[in-house]
Amino acid sequence: MDIATLKTKGLLRAVSAAPASPAAFPFGLGVAGLHEVAERGYGDRAAATGFVLAATRQTKQGAWLWISQTKLTGDLGHVPQAALRQMQALMPQRLTVETRTLAEALWAVEEAVVSGAVSLVIAEVEAADFTATRRLTLASGRYGVPVILMMPQTSEGATAAATRWRISPRPSAPNRYDPQAPGHPRWRAVLERCRIAPNATGASFDLEWNDETLSLSAVSGLAAGPAAPRPAERETPARRRTG
Amino acid sequence: MHEKSAHGLTVAAANAAAKAAGIHAGMRFSDARASLPALTAEEINREDDARALRLLARWMNGYSPLVSLDGEDGLLLETTGCDHLFGGEVAMAASLSGRLAQSGYTHQIAVAGTPGAAQALARYGGIGNAPQILPSGAERIGLCELPVQALRLSPEATTLLRRFGLTRIGQLYPIDRKALTRRFRSRQAADAVCLRLDQALGIRLEPVAPLRPPPEHAWRLACPEPLTQAAGVEAGLQQLTDTLYADLSGKGLGAQRFVFTAFHSDGQVSDVSAQAARPVRASDHVLRLFREKIGKIDPGFGIDLLLLEALRTGPMDMGSRPLSGDLAATGVDEVALSALADRINARLGDGTVSLTLTEARHAPDKAERNVAFTGELASAGPNLRDSQGLRPVRMLSWAERVDVIAQVPDGPPLSFVWRRVLRRVVRSDGPERIAPEWWLHLPGQAAHPAALPRTRDYYRIEDAEGRRYWVFREGLYDDGRGQLPEWFVQGLFA
Repeated sequence: MDIATLKTKGLLRAVSAAPASPAAFPFGLGVAGLHEVAERGYGDRAAATGFVLAATRQTKQGAWLWISQTKLTGDLGHVPQAALRQMQALMPQRLTVETRTLAEALWAVEEAVVSGAVSLVIAEVEAADFTATRRLTLASGRYGVPVILMMPQTSEGATAAATRWRISPRPSAPNRYDPQAPGHPRWRAVLERCRIAPNATGASFDLEWNDETLSLSAVSGLAAGPAAPRPAERETPARRRTG
Repeated sequence: MHEKSAHGLTVAAANAAAKAAGIHAGMRFSDARASLPALTAEEINREDDARALRLLARWMNGYSPLVSLDGEDGLLLETTGCDHLFGGEVAMAASLSGRLAQSGYTHQIAVAGTPGAAQALARYGGIGNAPQILPSGAERIGLCELPVQALRLSPEATTLLRRFGLTRIGQLYPIDRKALTRRFRSRQAADAVCLRLDQALGIRLEPVAPLRPPPEHAWRLACPEPLTQAAGVEAGLQQLTDTLYADLSGKGLGAQRFVFTAFHSDGQVSDVSAQAARPVRASDHVLRLFREKIGKIDPGFGIDLLLLEALRTGPMDMGSRPLSGDLAATGVDEVALSALADRINARLGDGTVSLTLTEARHAPDKAERNVAFTGELASAGPNLRDSQGLRPVRMLSWAERVDVIAQVPDGPPLSFVWRRVLRRVVRSDGPERIAPEWWLHLPGQAAHPAALPRTRDYYRIEDAEGRRYWVFREGLYDDGRGQLPEWFVQGLFA
């Protein structure tokens, strides 16, 4: 039987889903390579976590490894299983690693990437310099395990990561049923650095997360809240579906 | 050596020279001093002695896996199947004796077919330092000249036997057991004498409790020349893991715990252990687990025996790997995952890799529990997707108390101070009332109603900057459970 026959009979099929176009919205976040997601100010970690969970789709089966430094979890809290359940359509299996030092956390990330046993590594670290990000980028590219580094607001300067996002929370969408209640959460995601599509650098996305349809969509500035008391928003791309 | 006792200072132990002068353990120290004015003595430290004996017992594992303590000054080795490694019992005893003498221990070695006979020979059969070897089955002849104290009897029983004129073990052989029993006041004492005699002669079995459980599988590597380089230890471990792989794969087994022990030529023992989440045997994986820890073994004056033990062995998962991740039934390669967890645990400490389990508990901070990853991912816990309200993406480790201004006592807050920053609430949603688990606090157990847990009202609130919080008020104003209700931040919404 030759290859063509096998293919027509459906006995052969592609072993991995083709990643979404790398130059479109999440720019490969959680699909391939190393990405940094930083918070804009102290206390925006929840928004950054929400953004990571919203923008990441499980493209291949496998467990997630969530690595964090103990002092960061002590300060900012941990990500409960319930959040994964409510934000991911297919709930991933997750293992948690807590390390004392930054070096141990970065070592654990590299070890997990090289082992190829997990499908995504998310690490919360206090810093990562160019050397560390370069090393992780190379490992991630070679072994095909995407890595997301969640960084504090102090992360600046050179990075070898494919993208660096800067996340801040926005007032939530109006709640259709109760004007007093918060609606769908909204965030502003600024693409500070982007190696994949250099001309997208600096782009700002106002995003809204729908917790019922589990979809992420971009909202225009005007729809971002009540019109009167707010200053004019920066120009953003008109409503486009990205989820 | 002397120690304090109820009768003042007494002699605790004496060396050969003092014994020759008639000084023995148990006599008054003043009597001893009087009979030998030149006597030098110091206070005995029994705790340190016991510790040293345990260390020595650990080192004896180089000779036999089964070592147990015998009183305060003896060690008992089960050498069945071990002597041929040293070239027979004679050579083994000689080697042991030589090594002990090198370390400066006075000792007396006896080898016999039963623990009782060996103890009797070692303690009472001593002629010089030479090891005594009694062939198995010859206990009757070997023991007959020894005093009856050698049978490990109580002092009363020994005195009684003496009074009957029975001073040697050999005199006990021809006596009718019934006649012997009749002469003792209590049946227990008579039974003890018969039991000890039978045990020494091998008529009744004597179980020996080893200090540490014997390993299921062990591999040893004796070094002809003591190893003095760390590289040599690694090479030795490499060789041992290769043997381990060959042996265990022949049996279809893997092990979850490995202990690597180095026996130093100066009587020291150092060991490192490694854990695996599920049974493994691949030599490179085992080697990898030890790599971070092997630096703790300092060759020092030289290592002459390496021992690798495998504990908690079990059958291995021998499923064939799927061709690609896409074709796998579950998609998660648990074997690869536990290998990764082993490596992380080996370097960062056991229990670093954990798995979150969902539990059917009311309190949101108790609904999840982290447990050490043991090689198996959780089966889906209780399905709570539809039964719960929205849950925050970050849960604080502890609910943090906040100062709150609320419009009405039972309403959501208007503003609150969390982490020293005043936050003005713009929108709020709630309450989601979560009742305490009353069945854990039945009225009989908690005396005062104030000690009972209180109902929590959870609110999702958003401040002027768009940050979203999950806060709760613990208690109601009229629930009659102590103080006014307090507010806490439990988590942060995306």
